[in-house]
Amino acid sequence: MNSDITKKLLKIVVLTIIISYGLDKLVFFGLNKISDNVMTGQAIGKLNQFLSVKDNTDFLVFGNSRANHHIDVDLFNDNSYNMGVDGVGIAYNSTLINTLQEDKKQYVIVHIDTKNFFDKDYDGSDIRGLKTKYHRNDQITTALNNSNRLSLLQHIYYSMNYNGNAIGIIKNYFKPGYDFKTYNGYDPLTINKSQEEMRDTILSKADTNEECNKNLEMNLVAIDYLKSMKSFIDKAPNKTFLFVTSPIYNDTCDKDNKMLTALMNELGLNYLDYTNLYKNQKDNSFWKDPTHLSKEGAEAFSSVLLKRYKTLNN
Amino acid sequence: MLFNSLEYLIFLPIVFIIYWLLKNSYKKQNILLLISSYVFYGWWDYRFLSLIIFSSFLDYFVGQKIEEAIGNKNKKRWLLVSLCSNLGLLAVFKYYNFFADSFSSTMSSIGWEVNDLTLNIILPVGISFYTFQTLSYSIDIYRNEIKASRDIVGFFTFVSLFPQLVAGPIERASNLMPQIEGKRKLNATLIKTGVFQIFIGLFRKVAIADNLGVYVDSVYGNYEIHNSSTLLVATVFYAFQIYFDFSGYSDIAIGSAKLFGFNFNRNFNFPYFSRTLTEFWRRWHMSLSFWLRDYLYISLGGNRKGIVITYRNLLLTMLIGGLWHGSSWNFVIWGGIHGLFLSLEKYTFSALKIKTFNAFGYIYTFIVVLVAWIFFRAPDFHSASTIIVEIFSFNYGSLFVGNINTFINGLLLLVLGFCIDLKIFRSKTPLEDYGIKFNTVKLSIIVSVIIIMLCLFYSTAENFIYFQF
Repeated sequence: MNSDITKKLLKIVVLTIIISYGLDKLVFFGLNKISDNVMTGQAIGKLNQFLSVKDNTDFLVFGNSRANHHIDVDLFNDNSYNMGVDGVGIAYNSTLINTLQEDKKQYVIVHIDTKNFFDKDYDGSDIRGLKTKYHRNDQITTALNNSNRLSLLQHIYYSMNYNGNAIGIIKNYFKPGYDFKTYNGYDPLTINKSQEEMRDTILSKADTNEECNKNLEMNLVAIDYLKSMKSFIDKAPNKTFLFVTSPIYNDTCDKDNKMLTALMNELGLNYLDYTNLYKNQKDNSFWKDPTHLSKEGAEAFSSVLLKRYKTLNN
Repeated sequence: MLFNSLEYLIFLPIVFIIYWLLKNSYKKQNILLLISSYVFYGWWDYRFLSLIIFSSFLDYFVGQKIEEAIGNKNKKRWLLVSLCSNLGLLAVFKYYNFFADSFSSTMSSIGWEVNDLTLNIILPVGISFYTFQTLSYSIDIYRNEIKASRDIVGFFTFVSLFPQLVAGPIERASNLMPQIEGKRKLNATLIKTGVFQIFIGLFRKVAIADNLGVYVDSVYGNYEIHNSSTLLVATVFYAFQIYFDFSGYSDIAIGSAKLFGFNFNRNFNFPYFSRTLTEFWRRWHMSLSFWLRDYLYISLGGNRKGIVITYRNLLLTMLIGGLWHGSSWNFVIWGGIHGLFLSLEKYTFSALKIKTFNAFGYIYTFIVVLVAWIFFRAPDFHSASTIIVEIFSFNYGSLFVGNINTFINGLLLLVLGFCIDLKIFRSKTPLEDYGIKFNTVKLSIIVSVIIIMLCLFYSTAENFIYFQF
């Protein structure tokens, strides 16, 4: 390789580093500007809305899609917000809970999934769902740094924080999906006639009796995040926390449920396990699929939960 | 080691710098390439390095024996040693369980229960590629088309050269060995075209293919519950996923090789812009299709022994080509569909005395390829046939979108990828040479834009589709 070629190569490398770094910051700050004004959509809008209302709300729900689709927060309190988000786990929720004001009086329901605690591959990477707030929210930035779930390149190329979300953000900026001022975060799943057949096929596939995994072990990462929540609860005496697992169509193993209940008791956390609430009910109208209730099922479940909530508060 | 990993991002520049520091001795460069290639492969599973070393040693030795043998009979005997050993490796590691399972099923269907004959065998990555490469070397020597190598390091490097080791392109000794056994030079053209092709390849794989794959996996994972429109869209997405995945891989491989002064043969040439299936196979996975043509189709007699034998040869070549992809009847059927339509095309061309179809040929070719892809993607025959029946039942209800962000990202990136392909295709400049059109600044800007696109749209698939073959 002669010196001319070396120079040319170095020029390409240096120019690429400079241009890509500059372009990255341009894109990052541009998307920041846009995303700050986006209040709709799962890409960032729901998180933005949560961060803006979290300290003025009396009743909050955290969890994954099951929390989002199963708990009708309006039944519990007029000033409420359901922060359930598709595909997230306990790392995501624990981080958000730690952003709450400690002294504010609030009632918090945390939806937890038993599966999350027994998934040996769970590594807390769902915390990446908060990456759009990396370098922009101190608590979230600290949690992301501590999680070691971010790529090394993310420290150089900030636009990676918008990975997978850019189009959704832009779309919601120009065309919001709903009126966020009237949105409480609860998204019931309605099923039309044409979807019923598909639903019944899916449920029939889930209608089998599988044996429990003999080597059930709790995931240490999930336990750590649960303990982090527990530390926050201890520091926030004005808040009331209730941990809930919502129904599943056909859970054939209760060993994991018992182990999780034992852990919750050990940590002194209020926990209600409704996994088998509708186990013997053969009416498919309560279901969208084996892990998600339909609107009808969610309304019924929310009523059951409301009764228990009232009992607990009296 | 994967091309789209952080490890490769570090590995490539380190090897590149040391390699060009050794520019005064191509033999030292070969030693470095050999060690680097073994590190590259061993990153996945070092135990299977022994197979590559065995295969390399065998053909190095056999190649010399074929050349030295006096008389055709003796040459053939040595060639058989190479054929049996290489195909034997493939038979054991890739096809044993398939044939054992098929045998058991056949026996049980006629009422004879046979004990489970399958073994717990792991398929070594890249075995189909490097065995075909070494086979072609021995056959070429037998055909007096090349000379046997006497440079053991050079030959071992030819077999294991890391850019093409695990998923091709399947390089011929006639192209690569002279480059390995001589001094390499790096020039501005190689740098520009190489860098451009690496980044285009990364974009095709990491952004386009992997995003499309998320939707395809979710639909094909639950194919029973989806309607015609969803299955059709998922199959179209798959057609582009596999194209951008494999052509992206080939681009990174060819681009990486250029940085070391090597020119690999082209592996893809915009296959979906084909008016006939024959043309499609001249544009899709070219290193394999030309291998099959030169070493199988022609060896079977090609089109020299009459029309019936020609059709038989076409069908047989495509069936074996299908089986090369994987040990499943679905791949055989996939090859069979292609073989059948290639034969029909040949018949039509000769009956109508035409050389190609008109513009409708693009649609015809895409439809045939699309239907065949269903067998390629579906896990078994039952699911593939269910999907085909559903698609052709025209039950076009509402489209399942899944995660709206993922779907829209996939769709937009597909459109972008298609437009880029169309632009390069219409420019008449091969993608392999396209980088030369840009000066240093322009190239840096293009690469930077691709980097940002990757940051915004990368998706994290574990592997390249063709690694499983």
